[in-house]
Amino acid sequence: MGNKVILLGNEAIARGIVEAGCEVASAYPGTPSSEILPAVARFADELGTRTAVEWAVNEKVAFEVAATASFTGKRTCAIMKQVGLNVAADPLMSVAHFDLAGGFLIVSADDPGPHSSQTEQDSRYFAMFAKVPCFDPASAQEAKDMVFDAFDLSEKYHMPVMLRPAVRVDHCRQDVELGTVKDLGRKADFKKDIRRWVCLPAHVRINHPQLNAKLDSVREDFETLYGRYNFEVPAKGRAALGVIAGGVSFSIVMDLLKAWNREDISVLKIGTPHPLPVKMVEDFIARHENVLVLEETYPVIEMQLPDRTRLKGRWNGFVPRAGELLPEVIRELILKALGETLPEEDSSELKAAIEELKVTPKPPMLCPGCPHRASFFAMRKALPNGIYPSDIGCYTLGVNQRDVDTTIDMGASLTSASGFYLAYRTDGKDQPVVATIGDSTFFHMGILGLVNAVYNRHAFVLAILDNRITAMTGGQSNPSIGDKLRKGDEGRQVDIEGVVRGCGVSFVKVVEPYDTKDSAEVFKEAWEHAKNNREPAVVILRHPCMLLRQKQATVKVRVNPEKCIGCKYCTNFFNCPGLPFDEAAGKAKIDERFCVQCGVCIQVCPHGAIEAVEGEEE
Amino acid sequence: MGSEVHGMAQRGGSVISHFKVGQYESPLVLTGSADLLIAFDQGEGIRNLHFLRPGAKAILNLHDPAALENVHLKKYATGRGLEISGIPGYRILSEKMNGRFLFMNVLMLGAMCGIGAGNVSIDEIRAAVGTLAPEKHRADNLKAVELGYEYFRGN
Repeated sequence: MGNKVILLGNEAIARGIVEAGCEVASAYPGTPSSEILPAVARFADELGTRTAVEWAVNEKVAFEVAATASFTGKRTCAIMKQVGLNVAADPLMSVAHFDLAGGFLIVSADDPGPHSSQTEQDSRYFAMFAKVPCFDPASAQEAKDMVFDAFDLSEKYHMPVMLRPAVRVDHCRQDVELGTVKDLGRKADFKKDIRRWVCLPAHVRINHPQLNAKLDSVREDFETLYGRYNFEVPAKGRAALGVIAGGVSFSIVMDLLKAWNREDISVLKIGTPHPLPVKMVEDFIARHENVLVLEETYPVIEMQLPDRTRLKGRWNGFVPRAGELLPEVIRELILKALGETLPEEDSSELKAAIEELKVTPKPPMLCPGCPHRASFFAMRKALPNGIYPSDIGCYTLGVNQRDVDTTIDMGASLTSASGFYLAYRTDGKDQPVVATIGDSTFFHMGILGLVNAVYNRHAFVLAILDNRITAMTGGQSNPSIGDKLRKGDEGRQVDIEGVVRGCGVSFVKVVEPYDTKDSAEVFKEAWEHAKNNREPAVVILRHPCMLLRQKQATVKVRVNPEKCIGCKYCTNFFNCPGLPFDEAAGKAKIDERFCVQCGVCIQVCPHGAIEAVEGEEE
Repeated sequence: MGSEVHGMAQRGGSVISHFKVGQYESPLVLTGSADLLIAFDQGEGIRNLHFLRPGAKAILNLHDPAALENVHLKKYATGRGLEISGIPGYRILSEKMNGRFLFMNVLMLGAMCGIGAGNVSIDEIRAAVGTLAPEKHRADNLKAVELGYEYFRGN
C-alpha cells in the first residue's frame, strides 16, 4: 500500500487519472474543476508517464479530442465543469452510442449553490439523458478510487463513463492514499470500422438498443459488485428514519449522526446514481416507513424509482428543490423528517451587532488595478447610451459598474450584440452596442459569433479584454499565451488580431486600457466605423491581469476633500475596492489596504478630486 | 480535512475555509461547532461568529477596533462564553513591514498562538512556516509570525 498525503479533492482525481494509465487528458478550466488538469500534468511529470495533457479551447473540443484518442485503445479523459458539459453535449450524446475501444472517462464537476456558475444543474441528470454510467464520490479518496473503477467499467462495456464530483469534494483537502502507475503498455491501434466509428442513422438504429442492453448490465453490476460505493449503514434496532444519500451529503449525514451519537437512523449510501441499483434502493425503502433522500442538485435517484410516493425528497419539495445541501440544511431536514425540532438559538444580539456595525456580505469585485475596470469605464464614457452585452469571466463583475447588461453563457456577448443590432435595426435605429469578452472566452466560443456577425453585417463594437490569462478560474493558459502544462512541452501563441482580421473584420485596434482617454476615443471611432460600414469593429484592450503580479509603474493617489463633492460617480462607474465612499464624511477616500497605486482613478473623477501625491511616483 | 473556495466567489468577495482535525467524513463545519475562528477581515469575522461553539475563541484582524466595543456584540460573546480578540494587522504591517499586506496570513497564525488558540505551539508554527515559505521570503514570513505573536505576548 502506498503512503498517504493530504490532497485537494481535484488533485486526488488527477492522481487517479495518472495512476490508472490515462494517456490523453484534455480539459477546459471552470470552477470547481480547474485544478484537476494541472495536477494531472504535475503527477505525470513526477511519475514519468507519457500522458498528453492539454488545455483545449473549449469543452466540446476537449471531449472530442479525448474521446477519439480512446478509439485507438488507449485510456483517455475529458475534464470540465457542469456547464462545460452543456458545450460538450453534442459529442456526449453521440459517443454514448459508440462501442469504444479504450477506457474513456468524463469528469464533470458540479457546483450546487451555485458558487461560481450560471446554473446549479446536475451532471448526473446529463449522464441519465445520454445513457452513460455515473459515479458520485463522497470524499477525495473515493473520488480517486472511482477513477479506476470508471476506467475499468468503461472498458468492460466499451462505453463512456462519467465521474461527477461536486464542489465540496473538488475543493476539500483530505488524506489520500498514493499508488503507482498502472502500466498498460498500450500502443495506439485504430482499427477502421465504419459501423463502429461513423454515427450514420443506420448504425444508430443498431447501436441504440445495444446501448440500452449495456446500461441494463451496468445496473446489474451496480446492484451487486460495487458494495464499496453502495452500502447500508444500519440503525441499531428499529430505525426511526432511513436516509438515502449520495455524494458529500452522505458524509455530512455520517458526521451529524456521530456528533449526535444517534443510532436510530439507517443510511443507504449511493455512489453509482446512474443507472440506479433500483432493487437495492427499493429493498431499503420497503424496510423503512420514513425515508428521506438527500442528493445534489436534482432528484436523479428519485426519478429512477418507479414508485417515489413515500419518499421525502427534492421531488415533492420536502427537501428544497434548489440550493446546496449544507450541514445546517441537512440537520434541519433530518429533524423535520423525525418530527423533532432544534432548540432555538438566541442570536438576536449578534443580529443587532451586525446591523449596528453595518456589516454586509462582501460581494465579488474586480481586483484593484484590474484592467477590465478601466476598459469598462472608457467604454461607458465613449458610448454612454450603449447596450452592453458581456460574457463569462472575471469581467462579468463589470455589473458593479453597470457596464454589463446581459450575460447568457460562454461566447454570448457577440451573439447577443447581433440580437440587439437586429432588433433595433428593424425599427431603423442605430443603437450603439458594445460586446465585452475576455481572451480565453473569445477563443472558447466567441469566434463563431464574430464570423456570423461579419457574414450577416451586424454593426456593433466588440471589445476583447485581453489580460493574457484565463483569470477567473485561477490563471490557466490559453491560445493567446501559448504555454502548455507538461514540462518540456511547448505550445504556440495564436494571435488574436490575426484571428479577428481573418474573420473579415477591417477595423481592429489595440489599446492600453489604463489610458482611458485614448481607449474612449478608439471606442467612439470603432462605433462610427461599425455604424457607417454596417460591420463589427473590434477594439482589443491589452493589459496583463493583476494576478500575474507583473511590475508596473505606481502612482500614489489621494482624494482631495476640498474638490470631492460626494457625487459617488467614482464608486458607481469605477467601483474599485481601493476607492470606497466614506458615508460618514460624505466623500470618496483611498483605502490603502487595497489600493495598488495603478493611478487610473485620477482620470475618473469629473471634478479632479483624485490627485497624484507629488514626489511619490516611481 | 479542509474545504476551500475558488473561482468567481474568490474575487474580492467573502471567502471561508473550513478546517477539521480528526476522524471526520465531511469537510464542512456545522454552525455552532467550531473551536476557533480566524478572520482576516473583522466584518467577515463578525458575520461568521455563529460558526463558533459556546466557549470558543476568535481572532479578528481589525481595521476599526471600535467595533469590538459594540454592546450587542459583547452581550452575544458573554452569553456564549466566546473569547474574541482583535489585532490591528494592517497597522502593524504598515508600520513594521512597509505595508506588505500579503504577509497577513502568517501574522494571523502568530496571533492565533498569541491568544493561546489552535492547539498549536508557536514553535510548531515557526517550524512549519520556516519549512513551507520559499527561501526568498522566509525571513519576512517568520518576522510576520513574530509580529502577530508579540502583539499579544509582548517582548
